[in-house]
Amino acid sequence: MINIQSGIPGFDQLTVSELAEGGIPEKSTTLIYGPPKTGKSIFCNQFIYSGLSNQEPCLYVTTDKGINQVQRDMMDFQWLIKNYIQNQTIYFIDGISHLSGGKFETKNNMVSSSVSNPADLMVKVGIGTRNVYKTSNHFRSILDSLNTLFAFNPDQMVIRILKAYLRRITEAGGTGLIAYTEGITDPKTEMELKSLFNNTIRLDGQYIHIKSDYTDFNEVQTFESDYTITDNGIVVNQNNFKNIN
Amino acid sequence: MIPKIESGIPGFDELTSSNDGTGGIPENTATLIYGPSKTGKSIFTNQFTYKGLTNDEPCLYITTDSGYNQFKTNMDEFNWPIEKYLDYNTLYLIDTISDVSEGKPSQSESFIQSYINNPTDIMVKVGSGVNYIYKNNHRFRSVLDSATTLLAYNENMLIIRVLKAYLMRIYEAGGTPIIAYTQESADSIVETMLKSMVDNIIRVDGENLYIEAMKGIGKRSSPYQITDNGITL
Amino acid sequence: MKKTHIPKLDDFLGGGIPEGSSILFSAVPGVECETFGYQILNGIIEDGNRGFIFTNVTEPDNIIYEFKSYGWDLEKYLNEEKAFFVDGSSKFIGVPTIGKYSINELNQTEEIILKAIEDIPNGVGIINNLSTLIDYLDEDHVIKIINKLNKKAKANNTILIYIFTKWDYNPELIENIKNNVDAVVSLNSIEERVIIGQGFMVTNASWNHPDNKMVLFFVLQPGGIKIYIPKLLVTGPYNAGKSSFVKSISNESISVDRIALEKFPTTIAMDIGHVDHDGFIADIFGTPGQERFDLMLDILAREAVGAFIMVDSSAPQTFGRAKEMINKTQAEAIPKIIVANKQDLPGALSPEKIRDAMKLDDTIPIVPTIVIEDNGVDLAMETLLKQLYGD
Repeated sequence: MINIQSGIPGFDQLTVSELAEGGIPEKSTTLIYGPPKTGKSIFCNQFIYSGLSNQEPCLYVTTDKGINQVQRDMMDFQWLIKNYIQNQTIYFIDGISHLSGGKFETKNNMVSSSVSNPADLMVKVGIGTRNVYKTSNHFRSILDSLNTLFAFNPDQMVIRILKAYLRRITEAGGTGLIAYTEGITDPKTEMELKSLFNNTIRLDGQYIHIKSDYTDFNEVQTFESDYTITDNGIVVNQNNFKNIN
Repeated sequence: MIPKIESGIPGFDELTSSNDGTGGIPENTATLIYGPSKTGKSIFTNQFTYKGLTNDEPCLYITTDSGYNQFKTNMDEFNWPIEKYLDYNTLYLIDTISDVSEGKPSQSESFIQSYINNPTDIMVKVGSGVNYIYKNNHRFRSVLDSATTLLAYNENMLIIRVLKAYLMRIYEAGGTPIIAYTQESADSIVETMLKSMVDNIIRVDGENLYIEAMKGIGKRSSPYQITDNGITL
Repeated sequence: MKKTHIPKLDDFLGGGIPEGSSILFSAVPGVECETFGYQILNGIIEDGNRGFIFTNVTEPDNIIYEFKSYGWDLEKYLNEEKAFFVDGSSKFIGVPTIGKYSINELNQTEEIILKAIEDIPNGVGIINNLSTLIDYLDEDHVIKIINKLNKKAKANNTILIYIFTKWDYNPELIENIKNNVDAVVSLNSIEERVIIGQGFMVTNASWNHPDNKMVLFFVLQPGGIKIYIPKLLVTGPYNAGKSSFVKSISNESISVDRIALEKFPTTIAMDIGHVDHDGFIADIFGTPGQERFDLMLDILAREAVGAFIMVDSSAPQTFGRAKEMINKTQAEAIPKIIVANKQDLPGALSPEKIRDAMKLDDTIPIVPTIVIEDNGVDLAMETLLKQLYGD
């Protein structure tokens, strides 16, 4: 079992087990969820930035915010990605900017799609994974978040898109992190959603709760600790570790 | 460092000061202010609007709760006269509620009529409003008071999509939007959606103001009062 | 019969689509699908008919913009009332509707599309996207709608094109949809961990017996759908004119995915070009002629789809080497033609003389050329395409 560095201080120490060193299981899929404003996007961005700093390419599907906003949000934490955009280590699919009216300038690694056009979104994901895969057979992939997809599509359609997306990045060797705000669909959909992932991370504003399903080992690992959002991003506190098994 | 704009609410900028010593509403981010009815949400947004106007920051104001006359009365009550800003075209008012029979100014460059039950029309007006303001000033405020009424008159998910488009437009143009919403006036899915769409969340309950989330700072709270000069923390 | 204007598709369909028929483009998620609908609409309107686009996935403005990116002028057709929109998208996101018809409530969808069909006898209607209807309405309801639309279209001689993405639906539903249309074109992905290619094939057509042949395609902007030939080889003895041939046949500024290129060491000089010819695009590779590069020829031939064997018609002493190279590619059984170059030089042998000299049977065409004058190059391309795809 190989884990990759999460980039979140304290997270990798928290998730050490007899099966693996800490971090996020490589080539797995993780749902990061919780109430609004608990740091899910920050976690995603921190995870991406950590990969980019190690020259790991990244496929970033942004549906809540336009590429410019994502860049600015990251800048708040001094995570500068301009160079990675320029040298094409990051590949952006922007599913929302078209809503603001202006036509979006498409470049090699910054393409426009639409949250209300799932078929087009998947075409772009297909091209994006191929592009990222060409440079490296392991990469990180973010989808932030499912919220807007749920606002623009029937629940079942979002589940279908998600399945196709997860399959696509998993086959290409990507490690996927997908954000979702708890409570924006009915409990049944939420259950179905969670069942599609290898791991879940829940952030509730105070505690981070991690559940990893190591199917190969037939084992489920859970970890819990408190966390804070600092000027440098999320920090998982060292003093309140729990490995609940 | 996250740039801030003055809220205009005495005590608020101090309450929200971050490590670098600056406080206020983070510029070009979206804020939701919510709480039970009659807790001062509209006063907060009006105070925020007026501060901007006196600072030469234009404001795109979408009113869905009070028509022009009521809005003007509300502002006058706290001695925040708005006529001259309408005349200067720095207050761009989209009135979605006034009855045609009501005595209101005729449509002008910056006073625009729209309809609460026609979100498409509202969005068209928002689009031209943003263009109008953006021409003159890239730093502006945008107020929607309130999402509650929009939700009441229209299909909820449609309004969520429209609000998403609204926020994207304001973001893109560099503005700082604030949305008022009455707690529990829509179902919890919609309320959670609303919260997830913004960057900052302020809750007021009549006694205390809670910063539930704000870019760059953690949770904070302070008691507040509604005085003759508006909200004071 | 109306032509689809998609290269090879008309051949696969036995000439085109009969008036009043319905055809389903069924795509694996990730494969470009909308362009098929748009290209057919554009072609059929160009042929003097009328058409509409029903959209529930993107606003009409975006579609106009997309047409522009392919080099097609939808705006003109809209102004001339040869095309119109059935806008099922704008209302949904709160922007002003554009088009002759707009859908305010989902349950109007059927009724309004029926009206649109009635407006364009002998024309074509594009339904983009059928999948998006399924999760909004229920499955049975969607089948009923398809039936009603098809019935109306049949009566009105209107062709209906359904764009459909094969998400993880119940296989029965997919079967059911397929059984309710006249023809199905499957759009598939070719995957090697990622999508490296896209292909289409006609899986059934009520008016024709499709031969289940799949062709690869690419979508170019501008240009639209092109049949993609991943690799054509240009080989032949030293100094036969391979480089000139690659140069002459290539178009600049065609951007095709380069993943194939990365499999080869770039230190070896190789001529690489892209051809865009009559709805086909191909990456073309010239191999060095010297024997020390024969290993490379082996590798290239293994992955090539077709080959041009170049010979200098005025240098019979090199024919032996050419024959050797043919044999190398022969093992791979790839379609090939002989390009008899330098026909202008004194002593150049005619194609028939070359056939005799090389002891070749009639299965390999020989095309006379003067490459430096661009003479015969297009004919060579057409001849190889015929070898590859038939007439």
